[in-house]
Amino acid sequence: MIWPSLYITICSFKNRVRVRVRRLREPRYLLGAIVGGAYLYFSFFTRNRGARLSAARRAARGVPAIPPALAALVAAGPALAALALLAATVLIWIVPGTSGLLEFSEAEVQFLFPAPVTRRQLLIHRMLRSQLGLLFASVVFGIVTPSVAGFTRLRISIAMWLLLTIAKVYYAGVTLARSRLASAQTRARRVAWTPVAVLLAALAIVAAALMPVLSAPVSSTVEYLTRVSDLASRGAPSIVLWPFVTVVRPLFAAWPQPYLNAAAMSALVLAATTVWVLLSDRAFEDAAHGAVERRGSEPGPKRANYRVRAGGWSLATAGRLEAAFAWKAAMQTMRVVDPRSVARVVALLVAVTAISQSLGRGNGFAATVGLFAIVATGVALFFAPQIVRVDMRQDLQHLELMKTWPVAPSAVVRGELIWPGAMITLIAWVMLAIALIMSGTVFAAQAWGTRASNAAAIGIVAPALIFAQLTIHNGVALLFPAWVPAGGQRPRGLDAMGQRMIMLGGTWLLTALMLIPGAVGGGLVWFAARPLVGAAAVVPGALVAAVIIAIEVLLATEALGPVYERLDILAVERAE
Amino acid sequence: MTISVEHFGRTYGELTAVDDLSFQVAAGEIVGLIGPNGAGKTTTLRSLAGILRPTAGRLAIDGHDLATDPLEAKRRLAFMPDEPHLFEYLTVEEHLRLVARVYHVDDFESRFRALIDELQLAGKEQSLPGELSRGMRQKVIIACGLVRRPTTLLFDEPLTGLDPIGIRRMRATIISRARDGAAILLSSHLLHLVEEVCSRVIIMDRGRKVADGTFAELASRHDLVEAGSSLEQIFLRVTGHDATS
Repeated sequence: MIWPSLYITICSFKNRVRVRVRRLREPRYLLGAIVGGAYLYFSFFTRNRGARLSAARRAARGVPAIPPALAALVAAGPALAALALLAATVLIWIVPGTSGLLEFSEAEVQFLFPAPVTRRQLLIHRMLRSQLGLLFASVVFGIVTPSVAGFTRLRISIAMWLLLTIAKVYYAGVTLARSRLASAQTRARRVAWTPVAVLLAALAIVAAALMPVLSAPVSSTVEYLTRVSDLASRGAPSIVLWPFVTVVRPLFAAWPQPYLNAAAMSALVLAATTVWVLLSDRAFEDAAHGAVERRGSEPGPKRANYRVRAGGWSLATAGRLEAAFAWKAAMQTMRVVDPRSVARVVALLVAVTAISQSLGRGNGFAATVGLFAIVATGVALFFAPQIVRVDMRQDLQHLELMKTWPVAPSAVVRGELIWPGAMITLIAWVMLAIALIMSGTVFAAQAWGTRASNAAAIGIVAPALIFAQLTIHNGVALLFPAWVPAGGQRPRGLDAMGQRMIMLGGTWLLTALMLIPGAVGGGLVWFAARPLVGAAAVVPGALVAAVIIAIEVLLATEALGPVYERLDILAVERAE
Repeated sequence: MTISVEHFGRTYGELTAVDDLSFQVAAGEIVGLIGPNGAGKTTTLRSLAGILRPTAGRLAIDGHDLATDPLEAKRRLAFMPDEPHLFEYLTVEEHLRLVARVYHVDDFESRFRALIDELQLAGKEQSLPGELSRGMRQKVIIACGLVRRPTTLLFDEPLTGLDPIGIRRMRATIISRARDGAAILLSSHLLHLVEEVCSRVIIMDRGRKVADGTFAELASRHDLVEAGSSLEQIFLRVTGHDATS
């Protein structure tokens, strides 16, 4: 089966490259390829050369090559990465999902399932098939690593390949083990629960050792990082974290002997993980067939894993049509996102916030949570509208049905924005609230009133900012449908990357232009109110800005209505 | 006239898919639209459904122009495509509920149950499209079209994927809707179905209409007399695929 698998992999790769080269004849792909190539060149190669020259100059002047904080970060790298891997492993068990290794393409189902091939061979086939993607990702990681020489890039790529392969195979093992957790046979159930029990014990040991480290006051980042590094090298935590440290160590090990030893140990972990998964081949059949059933019998790109769940929201047959679109998108979200998983994540957030707050201010844990909440708020405000595509970008693939509906085009556009806008706003508000609670740690110099006013202003502007970006993204999807991948498509290649960059740059530029009137109006109010109410002046300023942007959004949706009406479904990008 | 097509044309870049097509379908009439692959049947149906914009001519439903008064035109028609594109995350019932909201169906609850029984979808109300067979998905699309009371029905290969019982019921459904006064335009490669349910047939070839009339009218056309009364023979003759021509 190995040769047929290799044949499929090599032929697929060859044909994919041929298709991508051929499509460069279309100007949009050629332009994308030029932009993507230029980005890679200027971002990494030129920058890296500059960084090396700068390092050489610093060395000549006797200045340390890297600052002490960065040196401490590098030293703590294996420990930090191991802790992150442990956290990711726990999440893999908690959040339900299916490993990509068990997701078969339609062709694989039709050709390989009826073929005289054992379950184990199918699993090995999937492992081989995944190698191209993993190798590509590893090489890219090696390329983008800053300030290193060519051979180091190769070493880092190999280390990354080991890490990614172990993660992929382990995730497949978790998926298989999870399917046996509810087995009718007591012995099988006991065996399946064993890794869960081991992981929970490991988590408890590490958490117990970590809490004092995090709660103790810190004088500097270097001290904090040193403490975390020490944690992974002493006592019980060092034993528990050993597999995780072993997996990531090649990324940080020096050449030659330490690196070779680390790579050999990492390969050993890979072998052990692979054996564990191959021994689970009995569960593989159930999991694979489950994945096939979830995929459905419709041909096309990879589909999301939808499950029927009572949403508690039944659509009335009368009412505004925008609400029907919002309901449709809400159903989609509820059928992808398991409410139990959301409840677990919320419980985790609440617990982490409460613990860090109870530990008092000035400790590393509270600062970490505060910073995380601030970053998460920023991501929700500026990146989520790009990432969450439960709107026209997704529905471009359903145009054939939607275009037959007697709905005013502007109502369609507005309806598509409501649910993602509301959802992202809610997430941003929750993160903002946590950031406000923790703000005493992060912004200790600012008065509570100032922090509260700023948070309130961000909270007021948040929905306007989010809806403005969604309007731009949906407008671009309607105006340039060929540039926007419909639904869950994820076009790959340098040209597709360049296309995405052009689109991202364009949408950010348009968003900035759209925000100018609101920013000017809000700024004027803030300027006028500041002498009267001080720091709280940001609140009325934000209110005025939000109102102006909201009016712009409404006007834009009206203007986009005729664009939707004129949209030709033949212009929509089809799956590769 | 319920369906009115006047000098309709549609091009895809350099390719002319439909050229100067004109015909009408009256209330209560079932018209078969047949032709070889690439004749322009689906383009015509998709343009009548408001999915594609015509590059020439005028399309109207119940007198409402699809270009100038699209909402009123769309309110009156139902399009059942050959490839059932459903929302993967909505159940069968939710699809029908969504359509009821979009088309303002007042008596949804009673119509829903009747349709589910008529189309043999009972027990599948809470299923997602991914859990249904192709035939079942086709039935969902048909149910979405029938849950309201359209005056115009456009069917593109309506029997694809249906089992023999489903085919029989579908035939009866099409005929009963026409008896209720709906204008029906049906495209199919199954000529026996067209012969069985249609009162008139339009034959297209390479984007143009090459024949239009009842079976009797076509059979009596001087250039088709030799083809006999079989629709298959008439079809082969007018499209130039008859071995004897």
